[in-house]
Parts: sequence; structure tokens; C-alpha cells
Amino acid sequence: MIRLRGTCREVTRLVLEGEDRALTSGERWVVRLHMVICMACPRFERQVRLMREAMGRWRAYGGGDASEG
Amino acid sequence: MSDFAQQVQALRTPLLRFARAQLRNEAWAEDAVSETLLAALEKPQAFGGQSQLKTWLVGILKHKVIDQLRRHAREATVLTPDDEADLDDALFAADGHWRERPQLWGHPEQQLRQRQFFEVLEACVQHLPPTQGRVFMMREWLELATDEICKELAITPTNLWVLLHRARLRLRECLQERWFG
Repeated sequence: MIRLRGTCREVTRLVLEGEDRALTSGERWVVRLHMVICMACPRFERQVRLMREAMGRWRAYGGGDASEG
Repeated sequence: MSDFAQQVQALRTPLLRFARAQLRNEAWAEDAVSETLLAALEKPQAFGGQSQLKTWLVGILKHKVIDQLRRHAREATVLTPDDEADLDDALFAADGHWRERPQLWGHPEQQLRQRQFFEVLEACVQHLPPTQGRVFMMREWLELATDEICKELAITPTNLWVLLHRARLRLRECLQERWFG
């Protein structure tokens, strides 16, 4: 059971699942509240965002062929 | 051999690289690429010339790769001990807090401008355990929705979430170690 603000472990799981499915509004609140009070998880969230942008750019290079790009 | 056939053949190696990265099985990758080249050579008129030949072939290859995954769904979803390994306990203490605070990775624009970054990214994706790598690539390279991945591989959504979760945490660890560390 996720408490109102969730633990870092729970919130991390939600942040990652957010890459692959739409979170429910309850889950989004848990993440948002947690991010306000946590020093570590916002960094994790930024790392995930960077990985997402990186994969997008990697795809654009022609399907995983960055070293020729 | 016609010019077109020669140009198509010349792209065999890069296509094989994509197929290997996605399928993580040499025989399946060979089959997917052979079917791609054959499809292209059988219907050269389908190549409109608007896009690059390689882009067009990669588009065909993606379909052939999905055919292979569907055909070999059972083998493609076997979990190695590495696939089963969870990083969570290494990252989090019993109370659910980070053992070590994630590091700052800097500004995406600065990182993503560097070509070497993508070489490291590619290497890190290759180092994912095989089944994690397959589902991660299906999601990120083939851009399949999660329900499509479940359907093609005949796995449950829960199994897929777990595999993607592990894959993304591993990728993060690898990037931290090899690029940002």
C-alpha cells in the first residue's frame, strides 16, 4: 500500500512506470507530493527524462546506429 | 547484379547490427535481415527514393524483427538469472530511502550533443540481460505500446512492467558508471 507521499522506492517505481503507461491521478499526486519533500527523487526523475530524450535521439539517428550518425 | 541490388546488399551489416541488438539471437537476426533484403529485392519499385535507402530498409526490418519475436516468443521470454536480478534492494534501504542519492547528470543538451554518449548508450543497452534487452528495445526502438508487446510475446502486463523496470534501472546504473561517473 502506498502512503500519501510514498517512499523513494515506491515513487521511483511509479516514475519508471510513467514511461510506459499513464499513471492514475492518485499516483500522480503521490509522485508530485513526494517530489516536493524529497531531495533525491527529483534527481532520479531528471535522469529518467534524460534517458528518454537520449533514446528518442538514438532512434532518430536511424534505429540505433549512433556511431555512424 | 543491378545497382539497386548492390546498394541493398551493402547495407546488410548495419541491418544485422540492429537486428542483433533487438533480437539478441544470431540465427533470428540473420533470418530477419535475409527476409528484409529479399523483400526489398523483390519489390524495388516500392522504394520511392524520397527517404534514404537505409531508412526504408530499417522500416522493413522492424516488421521482420517483430515476426521473429512472435515466432520465437517462448524462447525470447526465457529469463536468465541476470534477467531475474532486481537492483531495488541494492539501491534502497529497508525503510524505502535511497542508500545513495542519485547524482546530477547535468544538462541534457550538453550530454546529448556528444557522439560518444550514444556509443556508451548503445553499449549499455547491449549489456542488458537478453530478455530485458528485448522488451526494452521493443518499447524504445520498435516503439510498440506495452499491450502490443504483451500480445506479441504472450506475457502478462505484470511480467512486462517488472522487466522494463529492471531494464531501465540497469541502464541508468550503466550510464552512471560509464559516462556520468
